[in-house]
Amino acid sequence: MTRLQRSRALRWLCTLATLAALVVVMFPVYAVVVGSFESTETLFSGTYYWLPHAATLDNFRTVIQAQSGNVLTSLVVGLGTAALALIVAVPAAYALSKYRLRVTVVIVSSLLICQIVPSIVLATSLFIIFHWVHLVNTYPGLIIADGTYAIPFAILVLRAFLFSLPNEVLQASRVDGASEWQTFHRIVVPLARSAVITVAVFAFLNGWGDFIFALTVLNGTTIVPITLGIYTYLGNYSTQWGAVMAAAAFAMVPAAVMLVVAQRYIATGLTAGSVVG
Amino acid sequence: MQLHGAGGPRLSGSRRHELAGLLFLSPAIIYILFAFLLPIVYNVMLSFEQTSPATISSLTAPFAGLANYRFILNDPTSRTAIVHTFEFTAGSLVGQFIIGFALALLFTLRFPGRTLGRSLIIVPWLLPLIVTGVIFKFLFQLEGGAVNQLLMDVGLVHQPIDWLDDPHLALLTVLIANIWLGVPFFTLLLYSALQDVPMEVKEAALMDGAGPWQRLRLVIVPIILPVIEVTFLLGFVFTVKVFDLVIALTGGGPANATQLITTWSYNLSFEQFTFGEGAALNNVLLVLAMICSPLYLFLSRGSLRRSSEGGR
Repeated sequence: MTRLQRSRALRWLCTLATLAALVVVMFPVYAVVVGSFESTETLFSGTYYWLPHAATLDNFRTVIQAQSGNVLTSLVVGLGTAALALIVAVPAAYALSKYRLRVTVVIVSSLLICQIVPSIVLATSLFIIFHWVHLVNTYPGLIIADGTYAIPFAILVLRAFLFSLPNEVLQASRVDGASEWQTFHRIVVPLARSAVITVAVFAFLNGWGDFIFALTVLNGTTIVPITLGIYTYLGNYSTQWGAVMAAAAFAMVPAAVMLVVAQRYIATGLTAGSVVG
Repeated sequence: MQLHGAGGPRLSGSRRHELAGLLFLSPAIIYILFAFLLPIVYNVMLSFEQTSPATISSLTAPFAGLANYRFILNDPTSRTAIVHTFEFTAGSLVGQFIIGFALALLFTLRFPGRTLGRSLIIVPWLLPLIVTGVIFKFLFQLEGGAVNQLLMDVGLVHQPIDWLDDPHLALLTVLIANIWLGVPFFTLLLYSALQDVPMEVKEAALMDGAGPWQRLRLVIVPIILPVIEVTFLLGFVFTVKVFDLVIALTGGGPANATQLITTWSYNLSFEQFTFGEGAALNNVLLVLAMICSPLYLFLSRGSLRRSSEGGR
């Protein structure tokens, strides 16, 4: 083989390897979409059909009837988590990057450690604490709990971004007579827009996809996010696969939308999530 | 906020500057105290209490000494769960690193499809964990599962494998699902580190006549070692926390074969309502997760020390 042929063969091999990886990555998603259109008979036939087989909308009818409210609940929880994360994280990140404070090292260390704390540890205590302050089975309670995924991450990512903002811009604003608050919300927030969107997207996905807090700080009757809705379809002995697949398809929608609309924010967020300087 | 005035903070002193900073920081401080510090401290208190369903609404329960910890040490399921957590974490990290690093290296090469590959590889990371759990439960079913169908279609096995209900296989199945879930994280982090390796370094190694393997081992790996360390560290932290995936896939069964610390702690607290025992097991998990925190803080020291003078 000549050198040219060899490098061409190598390139095709790389493409082939990537395709193989993508099949493994995407197949589960494909299986949910196809499965959500399959009839109960097909799903329980004991044979797996690689291609759509006797498509039906029955599963979607069942799920829309039973879970529409739950999808809405998840939407509220996702948006609430994003809002809470922004309210807490944007000013905090600004203070931790642009102010000389004695507490900075302590707070940043605490945030790094907060990211390590397992959710089950928080869930057990929060359940009893929430009982005490009447937050069990409420939206604010669930959103506060879901914030534990989003907030430390949001502050650290925003802080890393704000370091790149030139101090001169802030000084110019102050010289113009703007207050600290005006400088923050008229100058800093607009300039940090892309980082703010990134953390909002991630906080939304955290709230939307949360299961462990929904399972523990809700009692499962009045407020039911879609994740909990899917879980209730998983029986001990028989699973309603058609409904599970259709509900799972619904639960994947935000991820799909984000992947198309906010691809560049997601890639930034994933790498920035492990800010190490 | 009554902080504005002529001259700005520089002229009116560092006091006001600091006060403004603390005000911006205050929501975060309150949140950390309420949502992290309070639950962690309360969890320690709970682990020394004799709890019962009746004590849940009263916030405190009678002191129990070390009874809950004694229970955890002697309870066979708790011990199994701890062992499983170690096996599961080690297996996940090794699998995720090997596949993730291979893909990261692949994506640094130039070939048709690399951009598509790089953008779609993150899909597993974006799905709700419970969805991943149910999908794998569907795919690994004994009858009508895609995995068994594939293995039988290509003739690798003649009988379907009981991936989820065979106690010897269930943990492996959960492990496979978790590796699938975690590879994008490893790929993305290692890929961005590889991007930062200067071209001259790679070329110099090539001039010296180093083969691809030598170049990787002697040149590239040492350069990106700090990122590899952080990736492993974060991967460890993510993996000891895994809960949703296991609950959806196996619920900790069959016969506790996939019971992890997280799932068993949930069971103790929320199914048997022995919150004290659950809290004691939580503390074992917390200590395990925290083992890494000094190293994490050390690796993040640059970010910690950075002051407002910094800039990029």
